[in-house]
Amino acid sequence: MSVTSRSGSPPTTGTPAGTPAAPAPRRRRAGGRFGAALSPPWLFAAPALLVYALVVLYPSIAGVVYAFTDWSGIGGDMSFVGLANFRTMLGDDQALGSIGNTVLLTIAIVVVQNGVGLLLALGAHARIKSRTVLRVVFFAPVVVSPVMIAFLWKYIYNPDPHAGLNGLLGFFGLPGHDWLGDPSLALWSIAGMVVWQNAGYSMVIFLAGLEGVPVELHEAAMIDGAGTVQRFRFVTWPLLAPALTINLMLSTIGGLKLFDQVFAATNGGPGYATETLSTVLYKQAFVYGKFGYSTAVALVLALFVAAVSFVQIYYLRSREVAQ
Amino acid sequence: MPPVPDRLRDAKVSRAQFFRLMGGIAVAAMAPASLAACSTRPETTGAAAGGSGATQLSFVGVADQKTPMDALVAAYKKVAPQVSIGASYAPTDQVQTSLRTQLGAGNAPDLHVVYPGNGSAMSMSQIASAGLLADLSAQAWTKTIPTGFKPAFQQDGKTYIFSAGSSVIGAIYNKKVFQEAGVEAPPTTWTEFLDVCEKIKKAGKTPIALGAQTPWVTQLITYALVPSTVYAKDPTFDDKQLAGQATFAGSGWVQAMEMYLELQKRGFFNDNPNGTTFEQQTSMVATGKAGMAIQVSAVLPDFRKAASGPDDLSMFPVPGADDAAQVWIPAGVVVGLGAGAKSKHLDQATAFIDFLGRQENINAYAKAISAIPLTQDANSTIDPAVESFLPFTKDRAVPFMDQRWPNAEVQPTHFAVVQDLLAGRTSIGDALKKMDEAYKK
Repeated sequence: MSVTSRSGSPPTTGTPAGTPAAPAPRRRRAGGRFGAALSPPWLFAAPALLVYALVVLYPSIAGVVYAFTDWSGIGGDMSFVGLANFRTMLGDDQALGSIGNTVLLTIAIVVVQNGVGLLLALGAHARIKSRTVLRVVFFAPVVVSPVMIAFLWKYIYNPDPHAGLNGLLGFFGLPGHDWLGDPSLALWSIAGMVVWQNAGYSMVIFLAGLEGVPVELHEAAMIDGAGTVQRFRFVTWPLLAPALTINLMLSTIGGLKLFDQVFAATNGGPGYATETLSTVLYKQAFVYGKFGYSTAVALVLALFVAAVSFVQIYYLRSREVAQ
Repeated sequence: MPPVPDRLRDAKVSRAQFFRLMGGIAVAAMAPASLAACSTRPETTGAAAGGSGATQLSFVGVADQKTPMDALVAAYKKVAPQVSIGASYAPTDQVQTSLRTQLGAGNAPDLHVVYPGNGSAMSMSQIASAGLLADLSAQAWTKTIPTGFKPAFQQDGKTYIFSAGSSVIGAIYNKKVFQEAGVEAPPTTWTEFLDVCEKIKKAGKTPIALGAQTPWVTQLITYALVPSTVYAKDPTFDDKQLAGQATFAGSGWVQAMEMYLELQKRGFFNDNPNGTTFEQQTSMVATGKAGMAIQVSAVLPDFRKAASGPDDLSMFPVPGADDAAQVWIPAGVVVGLGAGAKSKHLDQATAFIDFLGRQENINAYAKAISAIPLTQDANSTIDPAVESFLPFTKDRAVPFMDQRWPNAEVQPTHFAVVQDLLAGRTSIGDALKKMDEAYKK
């Protein structure tokens, strides 16, 4: 059996011109539907899916049960409490306040991270000699542990007027701030460190989108007299829509379930100023010993993230089609 | 036609044969691991743990326990060479997260950190209530626990935690800064305390370093004052509060919070206390940028490490009243350890705790963390820095407040409201109301 004997040789038989070709007999899959399910690519994916089901799906679904109990997280005493945990959440100032903080933090991260990421991508896409080095430098923070980033930024955000960011501001004659200790600033300071870390990630996705923009379109637009801004607006931007969709979705999900940086930098403080849904559910489970209630908060967070992501991707996909 | 199937055909291997082959390789690769997992491994380790019949115990503790535990684990190896103890330490938050997960999953270490009394998710009362701590009541050292400390060690008359003694909360101060500011002796009344702060401020130094960004640091000033403003007037306050007859908002807690904020209003704290960490606080006092920090004596070793010499620092009780006779102090049982009730090596684990309960080991443990030993003999030593607290410990000392709080939510609420008060985002009335709400949950 050879490849050429099947694809290279001219057909020895054929139908007369104008005569519709008879449909080729459909080759039946052995085993019918079951056989189809066992064929590649499903067979190749099966081990990974099995691990995913065991490690992610099963514990997640099993965990939902605890949302309807009063389990403390240790010991065997547990009672079914119905929807009591969800009713408690409606009157829990800490949980409700954390929803507001989570949404504000997410909006700030999504807008600024993608804005900065796009600018970095445009800069790193330009024909300059150091662009490969710049790409590595901008992407480098992404590979560092979020907790390490938080500790690093705690030094940068040192309230001492002669240290870190305040020292730099002082050099230019600007006043310093208590970045993590001032309740009105702390949330935005955390957003700043998250953007600093993840802008490079958005940049890489935008860069992939930029690589896919045909040069011919830019050349045609230039011949038509379009300037740099017009070429970006009418050529580059519409073709970046798929990259934008992915970036917005990933940064939204990341923002909504942000935990590491908040926990390491402020632990939700000062007061409750930087408390997010993730830190609330952590504290309920491991500090207050209310595992059942914590699971209820986690379930609400998961549904919230899923709903926002679904709406977002539905809107952005329809936008891609329109463009 | 896609290239991969063509190559497969060229190799004369059908798809079915290919998958059978791959499946066979996978099964062959996994078989040893699966068989090993199914086998019943002996619970005791062999040569690696010191020979046939050796027992390997696990201990998970907080960073504060490392110095005394490392020394005593090494000493136990000489007494019981067949027992090895693998100890690991981490900051409180991390230990709390991992230990509660292990306790919940039923695979807790043989020995682990336990906080005295109640009021924390890792406290003796909460874990013992879940049936996860071994009863230590039969051990000899438990018979000598001072009566006042029994609530920290015992639940329903049974002892569940070993602790080497008690620590106090007071002012860790830099002697040189005090001398340079013209302060000749530590203050004994609240008015004198304010005068000392004023002198240090005039000398160009920060009177009190406060690292309120680290949550647990926020509570220490109220803990230092409340014994004088609440318990000196009513030693039964905790019992009344548990019975629902007393509240934070309707007690001397209001006065203690007012005194806390007075220190801030007079400019006695460093700038931006909510943005300052415990480590920065330590450094400020140790290096002479600040005169003192209100802290627990267990962290004296940390302050001494950061100072140019250990004798640069000492401690004095914070006087929370204007009548020196009405000054009370907080003296709480230090963090200890317990044995997991479901440990596979329960006898060996409790035997180690019995070893810790010997007087010479209580002395060694307490010395390492500058604590006052639980029981004392001729060889007991007390850190000279805490000697000024000893006259108070007989009848003018109360345990750390959280050790009698009924749930683990009051203490974190206290942290948060103090940060809010320092930021000017809440009033004392609202702050204490929140603590009362958390207390009733």
